[in-house]
Amino acid sequence: MRAGPVAVMNVAFAAFALTMLAAATAGAQGRRAELNGVWILADTPTIEMTLTPAGEAARAAYNYLTDDPGMQCIPATITRVMHTPSPPIEVRLRDTEVEINYEFMDVRRRVPMAPGLAPAKAPPAVAKWPHLGRSAAHWDGDVLVIETVDHRAGVLDTLGAPGLAQSVQMRTEERFIPAGNRMRVVVTHYDPVYYAQPLVVTFRYLKLPDGEILPWDCTPEKANYVQFPERGK
Amino acid sequence: MTKLWIAVLAAWLGLAGIAGGHHSVAVNFDSTKPINLTGRITELEFRNPHSRITLVVTQPDGSLKEWLIEWSDRNALVRRKIPFELLRVGDMVTINASPHRRLDYLAYFRTAVLPDKSVLRDCGFGAFREAIANGETVECEPGRSR
Repeated sequence: MRAGPVAVMNVAFAAFALTMLAAATAGAQGRRAELNGVWILADTPTIEMTLTPAGEAARAAYNYLTDDPGMQCIPATITRVMHTPSPPIEVRLRDTEVEINYEFMDVRRRVPMAPGLAPAKAPPAVAKWPHLGRSAAHWDGDVLVIETVDHRAGVLDTLGAPGLAQSVQMRTEERFIPAGNRMRVVVTHYDPVYYAQPLVVTFRYLKLPDGEILPWDCTPEKANYVQFPERGK
Repeated sequence: MTKLWIAVLAAWLGLAGIAGGHHSVAVNFDSTKPINLTGRITELEFRNPHSRITLVVTQPDGSLKEWLIEWSDRNALVRRKIPFELLRVGDMVTINASPHRRLDYLAYFRTAVLPDKSVLRDCGFGAFREAIANGETVECEPGRSR
């Protein structure tokens, strides 16, 4: 039995659609791989925020001498880590996880890439510092998306916008957007306690050719800059 | 509630780094009023998050005063191929630095005239980043980089 013209057209259309889908998938896979590498900040990160009264009060009460975990060589948050301009970050895509190494404070982050995995069910992403939350990764086209929950209440940022606070209710979404030797990371923090609108921080990166992550080896006695004003008197 | 668009630390651009996790170089050090400090190096610390030179300077009245000269984190200096090992404890040097806006005897490194009269320079993080963006090789001190 011969196929009719309509059936032939359907088969042709299906073949065309499959070809296009395969091409799109291959394209996305290629763009995804662009995220692999070592990156430095290309310019000044931008922050968009709308604080609640509690957020305003927390920021007003912030004292870097007593409230900044960095003074004790402890990274406050991943956003804070990314705000430090000169130390680079490294992204390595694996089959079942995303490895992100941050030179600042020697943060080594492992985010499982498992379809349907809720971040709350994931192990702490940074074994050394569980307060940085639990994360899970997935793809949205060629954009790597990392969702994080289980943040410790406290200070969110001490550098870009010192004194921003976070509660245990906070949920974070990071979107890693590849663009050749450039990368944009848009971090959105959802925390109704301190932010009336989501807090959005946008980081733009340059790929560092032959870059490598060096040891940071921060020690509290050297990081505590209280000694500066004390000795400067 | 406050609606804010922040271009965080605008003067951060092109500067060598951020100090201490709580303040920026531009916020705390005044690059428009550079000073020359001639003295003997008594301590060197090339480390993260910030490097530091301790310099004992003879005051006009003959007394000695200890200055702290802050500098970029060690890793950044290495990436910029700054030959910082040319600075040695015991050397008499003249350091050109940006003074702290509020605290005395505290400044941020710009250049140093070494005992052999050569000048040690740091092109800074901004120049480093610009070179990367332009696909160029980073070499702040051509001919004597690390």
